[in-house]
Amino acid sequence: MKLFIKFDFNTICKKVLETKLEELDIKYRILAFGEVELLEKVPSEKYEALNDALNSYGIEIVENQKSILVQKIKDAIIDMVFNEDSTVNVKSSVYLSEKLGHSYGYLSNLFSEVTYTSIENFIIIQKIEYTKQLLLTTDLSLTEIAFKLNYSSVAHLSTQFKNATGITPSAFQRIISKRRSIAQQKN
Amino acid sequence: MIKRIISKSAIFLRIIFLISVFLILLIGGFTYKHISNLTNSSKLVVTTFKVNVELEKVMSYLKDAENGHRNYILTKDTTHLEPYLTAREKVNESFAELKEIANHGPVQEENLKTLSKYIDSLFRNFTQTSAFVENGFALTEEFKSNFFEEKIIMDSIRHKISEMMDLENRHLQERQKQYQSNLEFTPLFLYLMLLLTLVLIIVSYSKINNDFKNIKIINNQLSIFKEATIQLETVGKHGNWVWYVESNKYTFSDNLYRVLGEKPRAFEPTFEAFLEFVHPDDRKKFSADVERMMKEEDLPFTYYRIIKKDGTVKHIKGYGKLLINNDGEKRIVGNITDISDEIERFLELEERNLELEKNNAELSEFNYVASHDLQEPLRKIQTFISRLEDKEAKNLSASGNQYLERIKVSATRMRLLIDDLLQFSRTNKPDKEFVLTNLNELLEQAKQDVAETIIEKQAIITSDVLPTVSVIPFQVHQLFLNLLSNSLKYSKVAEAPVIKITYELVHSKDDINLINIPKNEYHKITFSDNGIGFEQQYANQIFELFNRLHNKQEYSGTGVGLSICKKIIDNHNGIIIANGEPNIGAIFTIYLPI
Amino acid sequence: MPNDYIHIILADDDEDDRLFFTDAFDELKMNTKVNTFNDGVELMDYLNSEDAILPNVLFLDLNMPLKNGIECLNEIKANSKMSDIAIAIYSTSASEEDIEETFVLGANIYIKKPSSFKQLKKVLAEVVSMNWQYHTNSLNKDNFLMRL
Repeated sequence: MKLFIKFDFNTICKKVLETKLEELDIKYRILAFGEVELLEKVPSEKYEALNDALNSYGIEIVENQKSILVQKIKDAIIDMVFNEDSTVNVKSSVYLSEKLGHSYGYLSNLFSEVTYTSIENFIIIQKIEYTKQLLLTTDLSLTEIAFKLNYSSVAHLSTQFKNATGITPSAFQRIISKRRSIAQQKN
Repeated sequence: MIKRIISKSAIFLRIIFLISVFLILLIGGFTYKHISNLTNSSKLVVTTFKVNVELEKVMSYLKDAENGHRNYILTKDTTHLEPYLTAREKVNESFAELKEIANHGPVQEENLKTLSKYIDSLFRNFTQTSAFVENGFALTEEFKSNFFEEKIIMDSIRHKISEMMDLENRHLQERQKQYQSNLEFTPLFLYLMLLLTLVLIIVSYSKINNDFKNIKIINNQLSIFKEATIQLETVGKHGNWVWYVESNKYTFSDNLYRVLGEKPRAFEPTFEAFLEFVHPDDRKKFSADVERMMKEEDLPFTYYRIIKKDGTVKHIKGYGKLLINNDGEKRIVGNITDISDEIERFLELEERNLELEKNNAELSEFNYVASHDLQEPLRKIQTFISRLEDKEAKNLSASGNQYLERIKVSATRMRLLIDDLLQFSRTNKPDKEFVLTNLNELLEQAKQDVAETIIEKQAIITSDVLPTVSVIPFQVHQLFLNLLSNSLKYSKVAEAPVIKITYELVHSKDDINLINIPKNEYHKITFSDNGIGFEQQYANQIFELFNRLHNKQEYSGTGVGLSICKKIIDNHNGIIIANGEPNIGAIFTIYLPI
Repeated sequence: MPNDYIHIILADDDEDDRLFFTDAFDELKMNTKVNTFNDGVELMDYLNSEDAILPNVLFLDLNMPLKNGIECLNEIKANSKMSDIAIAIYSTSASEEDIEETFVLGANIYIKKPSSFKQLKKVLAEVVSMNWQYHTNSLNKDNFLMRL
C-alpha cells in the first residue's frame, strides 16, 4: 500500500525547531523561513546541544563555525577576568590556546576578523569593565582593584583605564555618581 | 577725667564753704557772748554802785531827818522840821529807785523789806516824839524811851545798810571773778577760730586756683575742638543740631544751615522749619524716624534727601544720641552729613562695575570666538594638510613636501598655543563655584592623568595627607596636574623623577612668604622635585604668560602652564612661590587661605 | 545578527566636517551606513518620525544653529524610545568641565574633532568598535564612557 504524503518542509522544520528550542528552554522568535532570532544569550553548551539535536533531523544551523569559536574565546576571557583564581600566573595567550585547543596565532587572527578588535584589546576592555563595576559597587580603592586584577601598579591600571576610555578612573566615578544623584532628584 | 575732677572739687568747695560759714557764725556767736558778758559785768558794777549810792543817800536822808528832828526837839522851831519832812519823801524816792535797780536775789530783797520796816518804825517814832514836843511836855519817861528807841532803830538801819552794801560788794566780786575767767579764754579761742578759717580759705583758694587752671586748659581744648569741629563740618559737609528735650528747643550749627543751602541762622531752628527742606517723598519716613528718636531718645543712622531752595537735591545721612548732663538735663545731640558726593561716587562706581561686567562678558565672548571659530578653521587647515599629505605627497616635489612639513609643524604649534591660551582665559572666569573638596582626591586624579608618564619615567611621587578645602575643583585639579607635569617634564635625563608633596598648616606671621598679609591661617602645600631646576633669578618670570626658560626644541610647551597655575592660585586668593636651583630641582610652594 | 551594517548618524552644521566624516567611514570599510543632518532640528525631526531607523551611534556637534547638541542630547535622553542610542559628542573644543557636564547629561563618548584625517579615521574606528563591543558583549551601557 502506498501512501501519498503531501508535506510542507516549512511546517515540519518549524515544528521541529519549536520543539527543540522549547526542550532546551531557549527563548526565540521565528522571523521568516530559515531565520530564527534567539531572544537571549545562549551559552555555548546549550548552543551545541541545539546544534546536535537539529543535526539529527538533517537540519543544520547555517552558521559560521568561526563565530562559535569566537564566542568560546570571549567566554574564556570573561571567565579569566572575572574569576580571579584563573588569572594568577598564567599568560592569557597560554591560557586560551590550552583551553580551546588551538594555537594562539589562529585564535588571535580569527578573533580580529570577526569582532573588529584584538584578543588583547578585548581582555583590556573586559578588565576595564570589571574595574568600573568594582569602582561603582564596592568600596575598594583603585590600588586594591589594581592588586585584585593583577596589575603591577596602580599607575598601570590608571594608564590602561585612561587609554581605553580617555578619562581617569576618578573622573569616571565622579561622572557616574553625578548622573545617579541627578536621576535621584528627578524621581 | 577732667570733668570728674571738677565735679569732685565742686563738692569739696561746697563743704569748705559750709564749714567756713559755720565757723564765722560761731565766731560771731562767741564775740556776741563775750561782749554781752562785758556789758553785763559793767552793768553789774554800775548797779552795785548805784545801789550803794542810794543806800548811802537813804542813810544820809535819815541822818538829815534825825538831825532835823533833834533840832526841832531842842528848838521847837518848826523850820527844823523841814529836812525831816523832805527826808521822808526822798527816802521813799530812793527806795523806789532801789527796788527798781536792785534785783540781786531773795536775800537782798528780804534785806530791803527789813530796811523799809525799820525806816517806817523810825519815822513813826519821829512822829510820836514830835507829838510829845508839840504838846509841850518834854523829857518824860515816855519821851525818853521813845527817843532811845529812835537811836536803836537808827543803829539797826545803819547796820542793815552796811550789811546790804557788803552783800552787794561780795556779789559784785563773785561775778567779776567769773567774767574774768571767761574774758581770758574767749580771745584765744576766737584767734584759733580765725586761724582755722584762714587756713580753710587758703585751701579753697588754691583749690579754686587749680580748678581755674584746669578749666582754662579745658577751655583751650574746647576752643581748639570747636574750631576743629567747625572745620570738620565745613570740609565734611556736616551740620550739628541739639534738641533740648525738656524745653523742646533746638539749636542748629552754622554749617547745618549751609548744608541746607542757607545762610547761618537764616531761620528759627525748629523741627518744622527743617522738615520743610526734606524731600516730600522722604518726609513720611523722616518723621517716623524722628518720632522714634523722641520715643527712644536715640537715633540710628537715617537716610533721606533734602531739597535746597535752588532746587538741588542732596542726600543726607543723619545720626543722633541722647546726652544727659551733670544736672540731669536731657538733650539729643545729632548731626547730618551731606553724602551726595559719596552716593554719586557709588553710582559712578556701580556704572563702572556694569561696564566692567560688560567688558568681561565681551571677553568671555572673545573666549568663545577663540575657542570655536578660531580653532575650527585651523583644524580644517590641519586636516586638509593631512589629506594633501596622504593623497598628493607623491605629486609634490621634494621641496614641496618640505614646505608641507613646515606648514604642518607651524599649524600644530599654533594649535597648541590656541589650546593653552584658551585654557588660560578659561581660568580667568570669576563666576566659578567654590566647593569643599578633598585635595587628596584632586591630587589622585592629577596623578591618574599623568600615570603614563609616571610609568614611562619611573617617577616616584610621595605625598602627605592633604586637607579638605573650599576650592574650585577643576582649577585645583588643573593646578596639581600642571605642577606634576612640569616636574615630570623638566626631570633629569639620567635620573628617575622624585616628586615630594608636603602639607603644613601655617600662620601668616610664622612664614616669611606671608609677611604683609593679614594675620590668618594658610594651607601650605609644596611640590619639590629633583629635576633640572632653574636659576632663582627667573623665579618670578616663569609665571609670566608665554615665558619659557628653555627653547622649544629642548622642551615642548608654550609657557602657559605655570601662568595658569598662578591664575588659579590668584582666583583662590592664595600665593604661589617658585624656588629653583639648577641641577638640584625646583620647589613650588602654594598657600591657600583657610 | 539582526543588522548587517552599523547605522551611524552625524548632526553637524559644518559642511567640511560632514565631508571628512563620510570620507573617513568610506575609507574605513567597516560595513557602516552613515546619514548626516545639517542641524539639530533636522536631526530631531528625523528621529521623531515614524519610519526612522534609529542609529547605533549618534554623533552630535555641540555648536549648531537652531538646536544645539546639548538640547538634542537632553531630548534624546528624555525619550525612552531613543535611550538605547549611543551618543557621541563631536566638537571642536571643550573644557574639562564641559566634557564632564555632557557625560553627566548622558553622553557616552566625547570626541574632540581631530586635526588630521588619519587621526579622524582612527577615532571613528575606535568609537564604532567599542560600541560594537558594548552591543555584542552585553556590557553595561550605563558605564559606557569614552573620551577621544
